[in-house]
Amino acid sequence: MKYDHYDLVIVGTGFASSFFLKKYLSKVKTDKKILVLEKGYFFPQAERVKVKRDIPTAYQKYDLPYEDAFVNKSKTKEWPFSIGYGGSSNCWWGCTPRFMPNDFKMKSKYGIAQDWPLDYHDLDPYYYEAEELMSVSGPEDTPFPRKGKYPLPPHAFSMVDKIMHKTYGNQYVSQPGARASRATAHRNGCMAFSTCETCPVNAKFTIENSNLGVYGDTRVELLYGAQVHRLETANDVVKKVLFQQNGKEMAVSGEVVVLGANPFFNSNILLQSGDKNPLTGKGFGEQLGMQVLIYLDNMTNAGGSTWVNANGYMLYDGDHRKDFAACLIEANNAPYDIRLERGKHLNVASFRLVFEDLPLDSNYITTTADQFKPAVHFEERSQYTLKAVDHMKQKMPGILSCLPVEKLIYLDPATHEGHIIGGTRMSLDREHGVVDKHLIHHQYRNLFVLGAGAFTTFGPSNPTLTVSALSLFTADKSF
Amino acid sequence: MKRRTFITLAGVGAGLCIVPPSLYYVAPGTHEYALKLIKKELYYLNITPGSAEKYVEDYFNKLGNDTVSTLKWKTTYYLRLNYEKSERIRDLIKYFLLSSDFFIHKTDESKPVNYLGLYSPYTSPIPNPYSFIIYPPATIKEP
Repeated sequence: MKYDHYDLVIVGTGFASSFFLKKYLSKVKTDKKILVLEKGYFFPQAERVKVKRDIPTAYQKYDLPYEDAFVNKSKTKEWPFSIGYGGSSNCWWGCTPRFMPNDFKMKSKYGIAQDWPLDYHDLDPYYYEAEELMSVSGPEDTPFPRKGKYPLPPHAFSMVDKIMHKTYGNQYVSQPGARASRATAHRNGCMAFSTCETCPVNAKFTIENSNLGVYGDTRVELLYGAQVHRLETANDVVKKVLFQQNGKEMAVSGEVVVLGANPFFNSNILLQSGDKNPLTGKGFGEQLGMQVLIYLDNMTNAGGSTWVNANGYMLYDGDHRKDFAACLIEANNAPYDIRLERGKHLNVASFRLVFEDLPLDSNYITTTADQFKPAVHFEERSQYTLKAVDHMKQKMPGILSCLPVEKLIYLDPATHEGHIIGGTRMSLDREHGVVDKHLIHHQYRNLFVLGAGAFTTFGPSNPTLTVSALSLFTADKSF
Repeated sequence: MKRRTFITLAGVGAGLCIVPPSLYYVAPGTHEYALKLIKKELYYLNITPGSAEKYVEDYFNKLGNDTVSTLKWKTTYYLRLNYEKSERIRDLIKYFLLSSDFFIHKTDESKPVNYLGLYSPYTSPIPNPYSFIIYPPATIKEP
């Protein structure tokens, strides 16, 4: 650590931190001093692929198991994430649909939960910017308001996708994704292997291949193995960030402090620091996902150029959200869903059905005796979500009536969707949330708390693009 | 559910407890049984000599040749399950197809099927069987 005091101290190197830093660096002077504290280490993508190939690598020691980093009180629920440089960009699957405008207005439109303190139009320019930075592939006609072409052309449809798109128009589109449909300067084109957590061909956007340039900026100092556990505060101002590195207790002061770890650790750090907001750590969760296998009569589902070829919005937005949750359809194109009957091997489509959920107080994050380890208590799904699953099963045969369906096989709900949402929710005032519309803590006004933890509600769309756009938005509006 | 089906599935769930020891010894070896299953289920394919054998060897090496695994396979044999009833058999057959050139040849049954190495996006040359690598966009007809 070069200095005792920095203009900005930022915790984490994932999407939230990196996109915040990108905008921040573009707006501040060249003499600013920025310290980045990363809990893990740099584990390059090429070395991750070696591990998958059973080739020894010295970097293996940096493959830190996420299960050991927190106490999971709900053994049937999984919460995977990645620790290290780039955070969960190293394990995400690259799905980048925008939220729908009404996702931000659940209270005023449907009487459910709370409205976000910002809306779709506030984020719109930052959605474009994030899509550009990620070189997103996508279609021209989308169900959410968006003008012009995506940076890369859309992925190719399978036969099933073509029929569904012909039937439903822009309610069934090629999924906007950060799995490149064409090679770019820093990434290869997607080969549809469907093992995106570690892309075999480096086609998926990661912080490592992003070319954002933030961690190479001369103003930025990056410390690895720096585990933050607490903030020192005085008079509602964060004075110091306390962390351990190589077993040594350390502290650094910052004019502005940014928590950009995942919601488990952001909440833990706040609770360790004495944050008394009753909603800190409360109401976290994620979407409910389940798979339906669609056996087709005398028709193959061949084609498609990526893992999630398409998104269906037929069960997403509408007045039904007064009673039950929205559902986003993901058309998967995975090799492991083949059939074994003679002559029917590819006569199957596989749809992931992703349901929104609500921030319930019964799902919460607490501290433990180990200052670095949060405890995660996930008790239940909302009835709002479970009711939507029943509704979906009633509607699905009709939605698929344009296809020659032989039978539908619903699989059990998945143990996770790979998202951690809520815990530091955004609100107009401190009675209803932890941070304001610029992700600044309601009490500590020099503290930003970034990421999906700030989401006021959990729409069914994948969160990463919105996390990134929010970081660009807040840095742009605040500096 | 029919009673016989229930008893069969319950046997698997109960973890071998209903398999008489004498029948365990007369059941064929795991590899031999796996080979028989592949040839039985994929009778309509012209699998080149040695392909299924090499696949079975690699498959079980990857899976681990431990005692519990062997016992489970022998139980599966005793219960006369097929891929519709047993996830274990389903995986064996599925990964054989994925590990061969069957999908590269667009599921053409008239072509010989060769084992190309265990299916893995990280090590094998076999693409996603649905994908544009085998079915380029121009070949997918408009509905």
